[in-house]
Amino acid sequence: MSRLRWGAAPPQPAAPIPIIFRWDLDKTYLKTEFQSVRDLVRISFEDAADKRDAPGVAQLIRGLRRYNQDQGREVRVFFLTASPPQIGRAIREKLSLDGIEYDGITFKNQLQNLVRGKFRNLREHVGFKLTELLRNRREMPPDAHEYLFGDDWESDPLVYSLYADILGGHVDRALVHDVLEAIRVDPVLIADVQRLMSGHDPGEIVRRIYINLERRTPPAQFRSYGTRVVPTFNFFQTAASLYGEGVLDIEGVTAVARSLLERSGYTPERLRNSLADVERRGHLLPTAAGALRESLRAEKLIAGGTRTRRKETATLWERLRRWFDRAEIVGATAPTRIDYHALVAEWRPARPAQAAPEPAADTGKGA
Amino acid sequence: MPTIAIDAMGGDQAPEEIVRGVAQVSVETDIQCLLVGDEMQIQRQLERTEYNPELIAIHPAAEVIGMADEPKEAVKQKRDASVLIAARLVAEGQADALVTAGNTGAAVLACARYFRVINGIRKTALASVYPRQTEYPGQDQLALLLDVGATIRCETIDLVQFALMGSAYARRISKVASPRVALLNMGSEETKGGPVLAGAYRQLKSLPGINFIGNVEGNDLVRGAADVIICEGLIGNVVLKLLEGLSEVIMDLAGTASRENWRWRLGLMMLASGVGRLRDLTDYAAYGGAPILGFENIAIKSHGRSTAKAITNAVKVAAKAVRDGVPREIAADIGQLV
Repeated sequence: MSRLRWGAAPPQPAAPIPIIFRWDLDKTYLKTEFQSVRDLVRISFEDAADKRDAPGVAQLIRGLRRYNQDQGREVRVFFLTASPPQIGRAIREKLSLDGIEYDGITFKNQLQNLVRGKFRNLREHVGFKLTELLRNRREMPPDAHEYLFGDDWESDPLVYSLYADILGGHVDRALVHDVLEAIRVDPVLIADVQRLMSGHDPGEIVRRIYINLERRTPPAQFRSYGTRVVPTFNFFQTAASLYGEGVLDIEGVTAVARSLLERSGYTPERLRNSLADVERRGHLLPTAAGALRESLRAEKLIAGGTRTRRKETATLWERLRRWFDRAEIVGATAPTRIDYHALVAEWRPARPAQAAPEPAADTGKGA
Repeated sequence: MPTIAIDAMGGDQAPEEIVRGVAQVSVETDIQCLLVGDEMQIQRQLERTEYNPELIAIHPAAEVIGMADEPKEAVKQKRDASVLIAARLVAEGQADALVTAGNTGAAVLACARYFRVINGIRKTALASVYPRQTEYPGQDQLALLLDVGATIRCETIDLVQFALMGSAYARRISKVASPRVALLNMGSEETKGGPVLAGAYRQLKSLPGINFIGNVEGNDLVRGAADVIICEGLIGNVVLKLLEGLSEVIMDLAGTASRENWRWRLGLMMLASGVGRLRDLTDYAAYGGAPILGFENIAIKSHGRSTAKAITNAVKVAAKAVRDGVPREIAADIGQLV
């Protein structure tokens, strides 16, 4: 037990660790529909008012900043996109309209790639994103924790995992070189990445990587990335998981839920099912899920669960088995060793797929 | 949108095919699905497929009634069986209809235990749909046969009620304005088949609001003369199994012959598109399942060998039956009779 000397200043509590939220833009923050060159041209000429944010995402970002600042943490929000800087004005206006405070946006200079004849770089984003992440990290407080947000369209799980493992000291230069070379990243960018890898104190800086399942990719496909990667089907699930992580409060989750109900045609049943799903997949501990459920039900934002009048006589063993099954997946923060060679062997650049339908109250579709 | 409770553990290929079928429903429609069964098995299966979690809830059930279990004994012993809990959830209003591909006897007993019988109905009926020849453009390719096993022996009034129930179901689900209803008998004459069938004939002939076309014989079953065919459970079950067996034997024979003789093989290759169409027509997966009629709630019984496609269609049929108010329609028709 420490003793205070008379007249000496009391020990100062350690300053909270700064926190960084890094967001992809297209298909993560924005519901961008591009499947052809025509779509890309159309997007280039879109106004801020034409751009649609994904349901609940703006509320989530605002909630993350508010809660962490209230906790005395230094908060930074960055956007990283492979879109060209030419659409920067519309994006900045859109973020302003949505009330998003941010600390930086990085665009990909596609014009430069065109001029230099690096046509492959137009579609290859791994090298670009990894370089920019590492470059930006050098300007951040060394102990700052990071939460990364991407989607299942391109290479976000791979880029973010590589970034996390570079900062964690889990991958060496040779491995990074092999991985980037195997997926045909521009050698200039590979050299940049190798150079930027040095100078970081190894640590578990990246706490979670959230992948927005915009294409409804089966979540099991992300198991090889370990428990650090959390695939979510909507931003209510993301908010619930972040609540479990302790970086968002119930008020923040409530704001996201309310937005989905009021603006995006969700129902309390849909939210109830979403919460149960993210809990079953092990990305939210039952205790945290229980607290959330209770609070959201009190506000009538989610529907009650199904119960039968007669209590099922599930054996104690059965209940324990269910609990352990979950606990096995709820993966703490221990980093999983990712087999990058296997990932690269299966690597396929994303192809356009039919966009998943957005839930809407009035679609009227059915059997 | 209706909520459909699905027995995730019932069927030869459960829970894999059942869960895949429900996952497909969740991405194709707005139907709320309630999967009942082993929570972790269901979740693991879901995560391997494309699904929309917003439309799928899971209710745990610790026990399973197997396909080979003796239904009465199993229902008595396994009180937490998935089919029983699913039926209970429907009865308690937490879901609107039940779908199961599990043990048929247990499914009927589960419904009988938890569902209320429509006022005035004496006996419930298990229906089945089967492919038949069409007689006119736009005619449904499937006919409804009931009862196929819920009630072994019937009285005249039971057959009349089956006719009303089958007619109401076909009107709603097949969208046939006035389905042709027939009695399965050993001759077309009114007096054939003994007092029960003759009595049913007389009553059905005089009933308004039902398009009764008389008796049909076994060889008329697949010709498309009637849209709804009524018989007692024992006969219906034999007919159903015979149709299934015949279809399988024909396919097997064709396969064997083509392996043994190159001329047959060549002939089959030339007939490939026709054989494909025949297979599609006799594919039980395409129609999903058939109803257990007579209860205030809807239950769809799918084939024990149901694949994901069959379950997807069964859930859609159940949702359609809920939306179209099939039990209400049946109750109204039975009310006229009473």
